[in-house]
Parts: sequence; C-alpha cells; structure tokens
Amino acid sequence: MTKSVMGMFRYQEDSLAAAKKLKSSGFANPHMMSPIPVHDAYEALEYGVSAVRRFSLAGAIVGAISGFSLAVACALVFILPTGGRAIIAVPPFLIITYEMTILFGVLATLLGFHFVSGLPAWRDAPYRPEVIVDRFSVVVDYEEESQRADAERLLREAGAEDVHNMEIE
Amino acid sequence: MAEHQEPTYAEVNQDVLDTLLHTGRGYWILLGVSITVVLVCFVGPWIYQLNVGIGASGMNRNAVWGTYLSNFIFWIGLSHSGTLLSAILHITHSSWRNAIYRSAEAMTLFSLMTAACFVMVHLGRVWFIHWSAPIPNEMGLWPNFRSPLMFDVMAITTYLTASSIFIYMGSVPDYAAVRDASTGLRRRLYTIFSFGWRGTAKEWHTLAAAYLFFAVFVIPLAVSVHSIVSWDFALSIVPGFHHTIFAPYFVCGAIYSGTAGIVTVMYLLRRTMHLERYIREIHVDNLGKLLLALSLVWTYINALELFTGWYSGTSYEIEALKFKMFGFYAPLFWEMILFCAVVPMLIWFNRIRLNWTAMFCISILINIGMLTERFIIVATSQPIKFLPSAFGFYFPSMIEISITIGSFGIFTTLFLLFIKWTPCISIYEVKETLRPLTRGA
Repeated sequence: MTKSVMGMFRYQEDSLAAAKKLKSSGFANPHMMSPIPVHDAYEALEYGVSAVRRFSLAGAIVGAISGFSLAVACALVFILPTGGRAIIAVPPFLIITYEMTILFGVLATLLGFHFVSGLPAWRDAPYRPEVIVDRFSVVVDYEEESQRADAERLLREAGAEDVHNMEIE
Repeated sequence: MAEHQEPTYAEVNQDVLDTLLHTGRGYWILLGVSITVVLVCFVGPWIYQLNVGIGASGMNRNAVWGTYLSNFIFWIGLSHSGTLLSAILHITHSSWRNAIYRSAEAMTLFSLMTAACFVMVHLGRVWFIHWSAPIPNEMGLWPNFRSPLMFDVMAITTYLTASSIFIYMGSVPDYAAVRDASTGLRRRLYTIFSFGWRGTAKEWHTLAAAYLFFAVFVIPLAVSVHSIVSWDFALSIVPGFHHTIFAPYFVCGAIYSGTAGIVTVMYLLRRTMHLERYIREIHVDNLGKLLLALSLVWTYINALELFTGWYSGTSYEIEALKFKMFGFYAPLFWEMILFCAVVPMLIWFNRIRLNWTAMFCISILINIGMLTERFIIVATSQPIKFLPSAFGFYFPSMIEISITIGSFGIFTTLFLLFIKWTPCISIYEVKETLRPLTRGA
C-alpha cells in the first residue's frame, strides 16, 4: 500500500515552492500535477534532458538502414532491367531511405514517450480531476506518520488550499 | 471587430468540452447529408465503375490519368498546411497557433484519407492494391522502388502515420479532460484514449520532448511528400510535366491551398460552435498574411513554369503551353489565375483581411482555383504529347464528377465525426496563452 499526501494549490508558483521545499526537506520524489506544462518544475524536480531523444535517434538509424535494405532486397528478389539502369540504383533508393528514416523515427519517438512517461498508467494513483482544469497539486509519498505531518505542514505553509491524505493499494 | 474577454481556465474546459458533449439537431442533419453525399455520389458510382470497368471514367489511351489523380493531388495538397504549419509554429513558439492547430491537423489527416480513396478509385482493380506493398504475393512480384509511384506509397504511408501520431499525442491531455467531464461508456473510452494521463510534471516533460521530435520529423516529411507527388509527373518526359520547378511548385501550391483550407474550417468552426473567444482576430490576420505571401510565391512559380516552357524553344513544350493557355481548357486556366493570383491581392487591405466572412469567401475561391490547377496539369499535358497523330482529349465523365463531389462528403463526414471525438481546440495549449495562474497575474 502506498500512502501519499496531496496538496492542492491555486497558484503555480506556490506549488513549485512546495515541491522544492519537500525535496530539500528529504522527501524522495515529490511530484507535481498541473493543467498546463510548468517548465520551471522540470528543473526543480531535476528531470534533466528527456531520454525520448535516444529513442528518436535509434529509430531514425534503424529506419534508414531498413529503408535502404528494403529497396535493395526488393530489387534483387525481383530483378527488373529497365533501359540499362542500375539494378541497385542509389538515388531513388535514398528517397525510400529518407521516408523510412522518418517513419521509424516517429514510431520510436512514440515508443519512447510511453516508455519514459510510464503511460499507459490505468492503475490507481493519487489524482484529483481539478488538476486538469485549474488547480496545481503536489504529491509526496510517506511511510511514517511523522513524515505525513511534516509533509502536510510544508504544503500548507507553501499555500495549499486543501491537503488530502490518500492510501492506494 | 469586437474582441472578447479572456476566459478563465475553467471556462476554457467548459466551452471546449461543450462542443464535444452537447450536440444540436443541426449537427445531425449535416452529418446525415454528408453521409448521404458519400453514399450517393462516391460509393454508388465507384461500385458502378468497379462493375463495368475503368472505362466508365473519361480516361482513354491518350490520357491515362484523369480527374481521379488531379483530385488526389488536390487532397494531398490540402493536407499540407495543417501538420506542417502546426509543426513550424510549434518549433518557433508562435502562441497564436494554439487555438487553431488541432483542427488544422485534423484537416491534414482527413484530407490524406480522402486522397487515399482516390488512389483506390483510380486503380480500377483495387483488390490488387497489396501488390504495391513489399510483401510476397501470388504473382511473385516485388515493388520497383525506382518508380516515383512507389516513392508515393512510402511517402503517403509515412505522412499518414506521422500525422495521426502527431495529432493523437497532442490530444492526450485533452482526452483526460473529456474523461473527467464525462460518465459511463464515454468515460471508460476516454480513460483508454488518455492512457491514464494525470498531468504530472514527468508526463508534461516527456510529452514536450516527444512532441518537439514529432514536429522536427514532420516538417521535412511534409515537404518531401508533395515533392514526391510532383515527381510522379516531373520524372516523366511528357511536355508540361517535365519541369525541375515542379517540386517547389507543388509544395508551395499545397501549403497555399492548405492554408486557405484552414481559413475555411476556422470560419465554420467559429460560427457554428461559437468559439469566437478562441478563434480571434489575430488568427484571421496572421493566416491572411500567410495566404498573401503564398499567393505571391505561387504566382511567381507559376509564371516561371510558363516561362521555362516557352524559353526552352521546344515545339512540344510550346504546343502544350498554347493548349493550356488558349485551348479548350483556357477558361479554366484563366479562372485559376483569377482566383489564385488576382483575388488574393484583396488581402492587402486590412478591412478585407480582418473580416472573417470576406476571408472565408477568398479561401473558398483559392481552393476552387487550386482544384482547377490540379485538373489543368493533368488534363492539358498528357493528351498533347509528341506526335500529332497521337494527340487525344480528356473530359471527365459524370462518374468522375460525381466521385469528385462525393470526396467532399468523405472529408466533411470524417471532420464532423472528429469534432465529436476530440476537442477541436487544444484545451491545455489555449490555457498556456492566457494569463498564468500566478499571484502576480
């Protein structure tokens, strides 16, 4: 069972300050939820550069190799001499390579998005629908009651309108 | 033009979700009409053509490409501004994009699907379409990747896939908003569509990175797609087709007609769904300026295409040019010039550019001109090739005209279904353009 405290904030900077305070007070992995992207939160929560780019690069490289190989393989499996043109004709095959580079790059980026963000995540998790509309929230997990009290205090001090305790199996 | 008060975050959710969750009688009537148009004008004639053969069209020995392919180019072109414009404006952090990009991207997707229908109609024996895929088939054939038609298959498949993913990824946070605002089966469906999105900083961070890469991939892809479509023509030796200017000519024309399409769609959305607070003066102003710039580029490239044909001094090219400008289809050629090069000059005037109704009319005229342009390229070049004894003539049959009308029904039907499935305005990105929820604000 995971026990969490969730603070609901009206203002963006309050939620950001709460997340920073919780992090500096020794709470591991506080996370924020918001109706819009809060770019300052990425730095505060130390996310760094997203690993999605590695997926994009890997996908693009695999796509380029696959595209050229596909064109060459088709030309060799079904040899079609046309007006003295080369069977393995590099210029037209580069176009196939180009398209496949993008296709695989896009698909790998999609895969990377799911892998890095942890979505789909249909399991129960701390959440309140207001964060999709106009509220910001900060959630932190705890194990002992004293940690809960500390977390609640820090969240209220930062300006939380409400603080909710949640227990999720 | 009256500017509206800036909405709150909650009002944005309310207004946009209202378009999704509440449906008036007018919507059902329009949907019914568009489905009827598809069945009567597209499906019926296509079944007839499948039954009697491709001879039901006006295509003949001299003109093996006809209206189906000119429509294919038109719809591919119309698809161009949505995803491309959205990607460029995303990379350049142009916030005016936020209210209009979702519908523009949907336009891309459904135009591509409509274009794909024309490939199948043009094929004649559509049940052999799998021969264009690199898979073993009963004839032991494998695709010839030296052919521009195979470039097309790869490019359009990639573009359709990338555009679908691009629009879907951008919609995930909004699907979560629909999920939270709905109940029952709809809630269960949107729980699946939204992947369990909660709006955590980690999810936003990853979405931002992934979305940026999608945008980076999509821009060169969109340019390549219409370049490749142009090579279907330009890599042949047919006079009127064989021009090096064709790739930029097609790309420019595609963005031009796509931008006009966005103006049309935005006007209709604004009027019918009461989105005046979101689709505002800045949008019609910026889209108008873009249309004006594109019309000038299009006019220049068009003049250049005529000039290079004439300057070549080749009798075949000059013959093709004469037929285009003064032959049977000359009225269509001059109509195209009027609608695509002359009428858009009205956009110079602020009073016209800032008037939604005037811009709507101009956008419709531009797309009529662009549809004509595609028809002229196909219909005036191929029948007039090298030997006068082999000269022919092409005129579309009633079946082709009917299927052309039906294609607008396909697009409209898909778009109408889309606006009840996905918020037509990006909720979270519109919120980003509002005053931030900070103490200072």
